[in-house]
Amino acid sequence: MIKLRNVSKIYPNGARALQNINLEIAKGEFVFLVGSSGAGKSTLIKLLYREETATRGQVLINNTNLGRINNHLIPMIRRNIGVVFQDFKLLPKKTVFENVAFALQVIGKDRKNIKENTLNMLELVGLSNKVNVFPTELSGGEQQRVCVARALVNSPSLLIADEPTGNLDVDTAWGIMNLLDKINKYGTTIVMATHALHIVEQMNRRVIRVEEGKITEDRVEEAFRVGF
Amino acid sequence: MDFNSSRYILRQGFVSLKRNIWLSLTSILTVTISIVLLGSSIIFLANIESIAKTLESQLQIGVFLDDQLLNTQITDIQNEIKGISGVSTVTFTSKEQAIVDFQKSLRITSLLEDLDGVNPLPDKITIVANNPNLVQGIAAQVQKISGVGDVSYGHGILEKLIAFTNWLRWIGVAVVAVFGFASLLLISLSIKTNVYSRGKEIQIMRLVGASNSLVRWPFIIEGLIIGLLGALIAMIIIGFSFFWLQHSILGSLAFIPVVTGLQFILQVLAVMLLTAMIMGALASVFSVRKFLHF
Repeated sequence: MIKLRNVSKIYPNGARALQNINLEIAKGEFVFLVGSSGAGKSTLIKLLYREETATRGQVLINNTNLGRINNHLIPMIRRNIGVVFQDFKLLPKKTVFENVAFALQVIGKDRKNIKENTLNMLELVGLSNKVNVFPTELSGGEQQRVCVARALVNSPSLLIADEPTGNLDVDTAWGIMNLLDKINKYGTTIVMATHALHIVEQMNRRVIRVEEGKITEDRVEEAFRVGF
Repeated sequence: MDFNSSRYILRQGFVSLKRNIWLSLTSILTVTISIVLLGSSIIFLANIESIAKTLESQLQIGVFLDDQLLNTQITDIQNEIKGISGVSTVTFTSKEQAIVDFQKSLRITSLLEDLDGVNPLPDKITIVANNPNLVQGIAAQVQKISGVGDVSYGHGILEKLIAFTNWLRWIGVAVVAVFGFASLLLISLSIKTNVYSRGKEIQIMRLVGASNSLVRWPFIIEGLIIGLLGALIAMIIIGFSFFWLQHSILGSLAFIPVVTGLQFILQVLAVMLLTAMIMGALASVFSVRKFLHF
């Protein structure tokens, strides 16, 4: 699904964000990306949805080299990737329904299809009763569930989450994690960057640690424990 | 672009205009002000041009003919003058007519008798040139025609007048250039603010895989509508002021050669409308482009 070969990223200001990263993530995996702030997690995530391009090396998603594709094909790549952020990025002037439906409107689906898929998705994330509410009237956890719904409504094969629980309290965070777990069981590959080590511990999935732009740890063990 | 997307784009253009009502109103008002400036400066230029033309058309060449010419000779001379390029009109004034006119201007009736019946005035041909710059050349050519005595064309005054009218024209052009530039700047700044305030929306559209044209078109539609509405208000303002001013100037200051006419004002209004809509759309395209870099 995802392959990174000898990937380095140097920003125009000279900052070396990633150095010689080699990584493979299979379809259906649930992978945590951990590491201190500024270690390169976000850069790595941005490479995956083609917000940034690698300075050296190859980023392949479903065998498509993201560094080689034409700019006008980027939207096509994005349609197969759902993205969830710490700060939600919801449109405040659109209702919950409209925010989710937006992802289908922009790819040219017809109204019937949009309505059906959006309502199904909102049911999956447990927001059937908040369909016509505006984001500002929702709790943080509810807002993040709207984001997850939006990211998944056009059935992408990959979900990327950049600290999705960063702004949520522990209970709400677990609500989101259970939701992601459920989605992963339906077959969506998930890559999630996080600082929440208690979540990483309990979820017991593959963990990739990035420090100073390099992968320092890649563990699949069940008994993963934070060593320090 | 398929049917669903086109419908989405059209609807989206109107919806976001409505949801960002204050920003839209501000933009529309800015367009109105800019376009009123542009329209009035064009009208100003047209009037300057008209005044300059009127002044220049008063530049005439007086050709005084020798005595004792036959009528056929006079006709020949007239025809020859008409053949010179740049000559607009040729008018013949006989010496008899000239003395009558002269008497009239002196407000006496007995001039000819006072002169013992001898008319000292020559026959005269008055030439109007197409362009004041040609006056000198035409005068020189006319001078060579046999039977022509003196040729006078306001030597000295001519140069000053041309300098003055050229200067007038430059002022007119400068006013249009400055106001035109200012209004283009105002419109594009206003549209830019409109688009930039929705940067987050564009970012999200891109994240969920909207193609560039789908991001761009609602903004273009919005820019067109803002341009259209702003220009419509400006057109009403300019149209009414034009007819009101025309009416009052023609009524009281009839000697000022103002530009009038329905066709003229319709052309100005059309330029205003097109400028506003094109600017609205172009500014949208350029502002959105900032967000479409990959």
